[in-house]
Amino acid sequence: MTIKETPIFIKGDIISLAPLNMDHVEIYARWHNDPRVRHYARHEFPIALEEVKKWFENPPEHGVREFIVFVIYHKEDKLPIGDIGLNHINWVNRNANIFAEIGEPEYWGKGIVGEASKLMIDYAFTELNLHKVHASVYNPNERSLRAAEKLGFEKEGILREHLYVDGKYVDNHRFSILRKEWLELKRKGESD
Amino acid sequence: MEKKEKEKQKPAPFIMGENVDLVALNPDHIEFYNRWNNDPRVRRYSRNPLPRTIEDQKKWLFREQEGPKEHIAFEVWHKKDKRPIGIGGLGRINWLYRNANIWLSIGEPEYWNQNIGTEASKMIIEYGFNELNLHKIYAGVFSPNKGSLRCAEKDGFIPELIEKDACYVDGEYVDHHRFRLLKEEWLKLKKQG
Repeated sequence: MTIKETPIFIKGDIISLAPLNMDHVEIYARWHNDPRVRHYARHEFPIALEEVKKWFENPPEHGVREFIVFVIYHKEDKLPIGDIGLNHINWVNRNANIFAEIGEPEYWGKGIVGEASKLMIDYAFTELNLHKVHASVYNPNERSLRAAEKLGFEKEGILREHLYVDGKYVDNHRFSILRKEWLELKRKGESD
Repeated sequence: MEKKEKEKQKPAPFIMGENVDLVALNPDHIEFYNRWNNDPRVRRYSRNPLPRTIEDQKKWLFREQEGPKEHIAFEVWHKKDKRPIGIGGLGRINWLYRNANIWLSIGEPEYWNQNIGTEASKMIIEYGFNELNLHKIYAGVFSPNKGSLRCAEKDGFIPELIEKDACYVDGEYVDHHRFRLLKEEWLKLKKQG
């Protein structure tokens, strides 16, 4: 399968963020069903290609949405390798949940979620005008716990035995970052 | 029937004021809303140059809105007289830029010039800033609408621009005055009392 030129929405160094692309539906379906990926992303149900195609039906005509997703596109390899987005966007309280997954396990452990998250968080605060971004990571997911801390998220609390993973209940850790905290981190980063 | 009439007279207010309450729109009152919209005295100011059927009105006021609402409307309920006397709200809400257009129409002309528009509009403004977390509220008034121009001034709106010959009323072109109120400006006014 050849992949046509992907239009880029936000440019990064190693990766860029791009809108979902109908040409990639088979890849999205593969990620969603891949046991290695869905173990961390918590997709508990199988998804058929036909269901993935439905994501492209009835696009919102105008106005804001409660869900925004991008494809993480590897610039050098010219490949979609995962997705990242905001859901549960609350426009009155101005907060949202961030989620990300790298669908191709060979790209794990390369700091890609970190780069994509930085682009996404900056977008949330400087383009979407949000006040707070929150994230949830369940306990055995060490990589994401570290990523959240490295990004500057503060731990808000633990939802006890909130998820059922591999036959047992595990805690869900809730993190968040406020706009002023993010801007301060950015300012410091620029002056270093 | 009598019981039903009584029920109609007991609205559940969403925002309580001194002389008026703001209440969710009531499908049983669609005939009032429609009469006001077609009333030549009222529509002259709210600029409805085309006739509206009850069906048009119902479709517009009670339309489904997906996701965060872009339009919020209230009925203005007169507390002492126990009757709906107007309609108003926030339209074109932009949740990204956090601004919206305020609109208000007192549909029963015998309630004009009694400060009711000012009271109701202040309640809508307070709701927009304190509950909906908006940053800016804007308003548009056509120049012959002296009542609304006064109301905008009393609410503390600041003139932003005048669009020349923006509208056609009673056989002549009239100007459109655009006003704005930022949240910080509103808070400052409130602090000053």
